[in-house]
Amino acid sequence: MSRRVLRRAEWAWPTAPVHLQIRSVEVAGDNPPLLFVHGLGHGAWCFEPWQDLAAARGFSSHALSLRGHGDSGGQHELGRTTVRDYEHDVLQAIAGLPQPPVLVGHSLGGMVVQRVLQRYPARAGVLLTPIPAVGAPATVLGMARNRPMELLRGTLGATIRLRADDLFADLPPDQARDYASRVGRESRWAQWAMLRPERVGPVDSPVLVVGAEQDRLVAAADVRRCAQALDAELSWVPGGHDVMLDGWREQVLDVVLDWVVAACPPGPPLPGARLTFPLQLK
Amino acid sequence: MDRSNSVAVIGAGPHGLSALKALLQLGIPADGFERAADLGGNWNFGAPTSRVYESTHLISSKPFTQFPDFPMPDAYPDYPSHRQVKQYFDRYAAHFGLRERISFNATVTRVAAVGDQWDVTVNDTTIRYGAVVVANGHNWHAKVPQYPGEFGGEVLHSADYKSAAQLRGRRVLVVGAGNTGCDIAVEAAQNAQATFHSTRRGYYYNPKFVFGKPSDQIADQLLAMRVPLAVRRLAFAATLRTTMGKFEKFGLQKPDHAFFETHPIVNQQLVYYVGHGDITPKPDIERFDADGAVFTDGSRADVDLVVFATGYLAVFPFLADPSDLDAADGRPQLALQMASPTHPTLWLSGLIQPDSGQWAIAHWQAMAIAEFLRLYRSDPARARALHAQLNAHRDQRFTGGAHYKDSTRHFYEIAHQDYLAAVSQFLQQVAS
Repeated sequence: MSRRVLRRAEWAWPTAPVHLQIRSVEVAGDNPPLLFVHGLGHGAWCFEPWQDLAAARGFSSHALSLRGHGDSGGQHELGRTTVRDYEHDVLQAIAGLPQPPVLVGHSLGGMVVQRVLQRYPARAGVLLTPIPAVGAPATVLGMARNRPMELLRGTLGATIRLRADDLFADLPPDQARDYASRVGRESRWAQWAMLRPERVGPVDSPVLVVGAEQDRLVAAADVRRCAQALDAELSWVPGGHDVMLDGWREQVLDVVLDWVVAACPPGPPLPGARLTFPLQLK
Repeated sequence: MDRSNSVAVIGAGPHGLSALKALLQLGIPADGFERAADLGGNWNFGAPTSRVYESTHLISSKPFTQFPDFPMPDAYPDYPSHRQVKQYFDRYAAHFGLRERISFNATVTRVAAVGDQWDVTVNDTTIRYGAVVVANGHNWHAKVPQYPGEFGGEVLHSADYKSAAQLRGRRVLVVGAGNTGCDIAVEAAQNAQATFHSTRRGYYYNPKFVFGKPSDQIADQLLAMRVPLAVRRLAFAATLRTTMGKFEKFGLQKPDHAFFETHPIVNQQLVYYVGHGDITPKPDIERFDADGAVFTDGSRADVDLVVFATGYLAVFPFLADPSDLDAADGRPQLALQMASPTHPTLWLSGLIQPDSGQWAIAHWQAMAIAEFLRLYRSDPARARALHAQLNAHRDQRFTGGAHYKDSTRHFYEIAHQDYLAAVSQFLQQVAS
């Protein structure tokens, strides 16, 4: 875990509070809760199918809409919103949970989760087709080749427009268009942050990186780079960029949850507490 | 009992909790001991360990006061109340599963070295530990000054001050201009029949808010922009001068020192009540008599209640050998204000008085201690070398360039940015 002690900007210019939408589906059981963080222009809505499937497997889950997204506040301030604000939102969601969650971040949300994992001891981290915090040169190059106008627009500060075939590989066209139409605006600062490499290192929590075989946005080389930087496990699944919505979503969730079960031993959340029994004084 | 594979953490206030959490996070088993029935230490209002009063609010704003990995809820105000703070610690402990690792009503009476291990005696049971983190707090053992003369009225230390009801209808003399003294003087102004406030010197009474923001955030904006100390002093003086004016004009003493040379007092109301005649400022006390006090300027005040808000002493009554924390004279001088000069397995968390919030620093002290003890478990030789190297700089202070006034509360005063930079450097040395 990187130990960034001095956080001058955070102290001097703290993030302003906004209302955050958190969609919770809770079930009884011993599994750690899942906290879902969406990607560019998405919202908590994109994890709805997964939340029901996870509940059926005995996992409580909470899907956060970052500020300016979904039904969260801060819509009018989106143009001024930074990744540090998103980090704040995720930490706010975490601090509202009764125990450390497994953080699951998709795409740009994966980049936010990488930053949160640097400072917070989550039970585990799962990064789905993530933008690596250490920089995404192959992805930028790919966009320059396939979607040069969108890359230019994004660089100039407009929201990168994502089409159905950027996001999905195995969905009926109606459904794909319907989902794609729900993707909204993104902060220009967050888009620029994807271009700027951040120093991140291995973290205390176990991490799984999931790459999608038919991903047309995040390049395979960048997915591997992300896993390498965090010393994380790497898993490839079928489907397009939005693995939680695409045709293989049930199978992908099984891959994720099977790994979570193996990576999170039962018992107290912090590893030191699992080594000895609590002291019994007479 | 042998728990020599574990670490004992004494105290379950914010520093004890964060130490416990950091150790467990890095895979080191640890047990907490708390002499009260609940966690929170000073913030466990009403417990014998607590020194907060009904109206206590934070005097530093949230961003640097909270744990960096577990922020206070956005719904909290800039300066939360002590009840919100207690609730925050309860949630922190529940979130990380700390409560199960703490023995409550457990008083540590003796901590004695056995080689580099420790025999810790708790409620008459002695347990062998591999290491000890002392987080017993420094704001509970009252410091009461001595003055000539016999006072006939009631004498109270702020340690026993709980609510304004204790002041109602009385003629009150409050002694001391720390943040507590100023709070109590203000509450006396609102409730007592007459209020006198005796201070040894003039101070800067800083506002809690300036330019629509908590004033400590404004101070950190200047720090973040690397504005030098002299310029920051000018900026602060100019802000106070243009809003409040000179303190002398209110009959307060002129500050005898520059900004940042004493622990910041953050109180917007004191000067207000002085200006309304509800608080009469007085210099130091010369002597007491049966029904009042005589001050060094020759004036006197008729009072029936004296409240000494004169601070606290750092004490470690359980240490078999006080030199393990250099505590023989009550003013430990420790490397990074944490490291024992004698043992790499004894650490002190919390003997700091920052010019900002406390618990962000508690978090990093805890991380530094836990990282060091993890190294000690895996590579004791290298840890010992690092400990010796650290102790070579025992006299290093973290003043942000200012020269602090000599006082029992200033020997552990720190400038947060300086101090955290040093802790950060130590963390890098441990990790490399």
